Amino acid sequence: MTVAVDPHNPWLARTVRIRRIVQELPGVATYDLCFDDAEIARNYSFRPGQFNMLYLPGLGETAISISGHPRRVGVIPHTIREAGSVTTGLAGLPENSCIGLRGPFGSAWPVEQCAGRDVVLVAGGIGLAPLRPAIYELLSQRDRYGKLILLIGAREPSAMLYPAEYNEWRDAGMQVEVTVDRALDGWNSHVGVVTALLDRVPLENPSGTLLMTCGPEVMMWYTIQGAISRGIPADSIYVSLERNMNCAIGLCGHCQLGHEFICRDGPVFRYDRVASILKVDNL
Amino acid sequence: MSSKPSSEFPFSPPAPDSPANHNPDGTSLFLPRDDLNTLIGKLTADGYQVVGPRLEQEAIIYGEISGADDLPIGWTDLQEAGKYRLQPRGDQAFFGYTVGPHSWKKFLFPPVAVVATAERDGTGWKLDTPDAEPPKYAFLGVRACELAAIKVQDRVFLGGPYTDPIYQKRRNAAFIIAVNCTQAASTCFCTSMNTGPRCTAGFDLALTEISDGFLLEIGSAAGNAVASGLSLQPASDEQSGRGESARQQAVSQISKHMDTTDIRDLLMGNLQHPRWDDVANRCLSCTNCTMVCPTCFCSSVKDVSDLTGDHIDRERRWDSCFNMDFSYMNGAPVRNSIHSRYRQWMTHKLASWHDQFGSSGCVGCGRCITWCPTGIDLTEEVAAIRSSPSSGRSERPPISDAEVSAT
Amino acid sequence: MIAEQPNLLKLLADSRFAEGLSNSHLQSLCRAARHIRVPSETKLFQEGSFEDEVFIVCSGHVRLSMNVPGQDDVTFLTAGPGDLVGWSGLISDGRMTATATTVEETVLIGISGRRVQQLCEIEPELGYVLMRRVAQILSRRLLATRLQLLDLFHQNTGAAQ
Repeated sequence: MTVAVDPHNPWLARTVRIRRIVQELPGVATYDLCFDDAEIARNYSFRPGQFNMLYLPGLGETAISISGHPRRVGVIPHTIREAGSVTTGLAGLPENSCIGLRGPFGSAWPVEQCAGRDVVLVAGGIGLAPLRPAIYELLSQRDRYGKLILLIGAREPSAMLYPAEYNEWRDAGMQVEVTVDRALDGWNSHVGVVTALLDRVPLENPSGTLLMTCGPEVMMWYTIQGAISRGIPADSIYVSLERNMNCAIGLCGHCQLGHEFICRDGPVFRYDRVASILKVDNL
Repeated sequence: MSSKPSSEFPFSPPAPDSPANHNPDGTSLFLPRDDLNTLIGKLTADGYQVVGPRLEQEAIIYGEISGADDLPIGWTDLQEAGKYRLQPRGDQAFFGYTVGPHSWKKFLFPPVAVVATAERDGTGWKLDTPDAEPPKYAFLGVRACELAAIKVQDRVFLGGPYTDPIYQKRRNAAFIIAVNCTQAASTCFCTSMNTGPRCTAGFDLALTEISDGFLLEIGSAAGNAVASGLSLQPASDEQSGRGESARQQAVSQISKHMDTTDIRDLLMGNLQHPRWDDVANRCLSCTNCTMVCPTCFCSSVKDVSDLTGDHIDRERRWDSCFNMDFSYMNGAPVRNSIHSRYRQWMTHKLASWHDQFGSSGCVGCGRCITWCPTGIDLTEEVAAIRSSPSSGRSERPPISDAEVSAT
Repeated sequence: MIAEQPNLLKLLADSRFAEGLSNSHLQSLCRAARHIRVPSETKLFQEGSFEDEVFIVCSGHVRLSMNVPGQDDVTFLTAGPGDLVGWSGLISDGRMTATATTVEETVLIGISGRRVQQLCEIEPELGYVLMRRVAQILSRRLLATRLQLLDLFHQNTGAAQ
């Protein structure tokens, strides 16, 4: 069986075609990628929270989380912000261009463990992208879970990611609250940091609630502290961490954070596993 | 080892049970001094590229050898923190030195290697990985700490969910001739790390040098096959006795010690210790320690293109956690101080390596001490932290009730 | 504003503000409090004015804004259930540092800052517990403001991709 990553030849990238580019925000676009090889396409599956290495020949690779529906076969969306040379190079490519892909890699959001529980998702900025597959997965079997609450923070109203989908998610049974750091005229929703939303979200059974968060590290840290003060146990809190990934397969040493390899042990971690290393300067 | 590529992990030699200098029949074996050349010749004839110690740039390094004459006959090395000098021994010993700046990792995990390629193909790219067979190496003169280092890198490159094909091919093909140390440098501390000085497993053949030749041990079927082509003689009790006392000399010369008790928790519990500032004042962040370390495995893959831009090699080069841009993320390095980079290196090597790979990343070879231009000795850094561990909280003493009532 | 008195004590006890306050302290507070239901887009107080009444939001949301010449009102925070607004009346002279406007129908507990201060003088223990509570709320508000100030979601300050 030809799979996307051969564990014994993990450096081999597969050719993918950019089927569609959706400009989400200034400097942020979603790229729908499809494998050229039909067999690889059929066999490819990922779990919410995992990432791929996208490769632009001549520029190199970059780690990008998968932002699409885990049950949708054939198309793999990646929401990418122009930041380094690879993502900037990608931004210059038209639809139908070919690039390379290795993946999926890394750990996943604990969707299985959400069964029967209330779930709070806290996303900041482009951190909503790695959480979107978990949102899709939770909503695809809505009956299995208790209350589903999604708290989204963004810099300003125009920086909200995927705003057109919020009402679909609400209709499917998820409470979606959005807040911005800087409001403008005509903004009718919350203003203030996303951690303040968490402070006042009603939790009926905090000790049985599971929380997942993705965003800037500072935001996640105070989200976690807020969650713990609300009574959510440290072993029910999950974070997605980021470090410079070069190989994605635990062989190059770049993405270490304390004892963890972000690429191999993460990017999704249970908080109690990384609590001791999250606030050490320059670790 | 050259026995069939094994899917088993960790690598174990086929017959490591009795690490004594006996052949499979139980007789002690002796290889006459002049027959070392025969061994090298036989390996070459078997298609091996024999690499071993040789003199180069006033050091004993590892390079290709075509005969026993290429070995550093009669030379030894004098090592201390920040110092390495060659000296004549006054005898004709082949292996009368400890370890130099090179390690075998440069053959198994090459400093530069192409991990993948991209060829322009019409409007797209043909993506591939190289599958050329690497050289079949025979390593001559692998010390006990180096066998341990190879085992450590086996876990890194072959023990996880993804294996590195470059390392795998080279490792599977390699033939290992270990040499027991008969002396130790002042920088050696293998006894603290339980890695030496005696070679007990992980080799095809092992030698102990005595004046008239070598005591020979067989560690694998491949080793046995090679040994069967040599004119080995049963070793006399007197020869075995001289071998034993030569090996014992190495043990007795080891003076450096590192207390590894609970070292993982000691270091991870002292990430904010003031000693990191102290060592940061002495460390130049030059990367020497990581380059000479036989287990350091950090690397970076970058695209290297030809002038047309149509052929691209994804080139992996050794990198180092001491390089500023190693931790570059979102426009800035995460570890932007020498303090944080030294801490990363040492805590990784001695502490978090246990979490990641189930063993220490340090084998006690002492290279990082010798080749540090400012003579930083990690055993001293550990001892300093051990002598005054911090509580993890701030260093101020708590305010007593008396002080509260006095104000 | 419509004043109501349907079990003020229970409403207060259920609010996040009251976490850690004893029943007797809550009863004391109720003597200085009223329950009000306010329609959407009602101004509770104006930046710069002097006010006695402090509000605890029970349900609904209140927009806090400051007037910046040339930009009209700039909203910097939305207060929701459990939040305290107009706290200047509780600890200083009662000059408001923001304008508070309801963004939807909002239920609040209004407390007279002057009467609470008097209560605290009489019952120092209540005063200590209450001021500690207010300090906790304000410290959280300060942290939230700092996080806003850090502009975490600005490009290059890092969000996982």
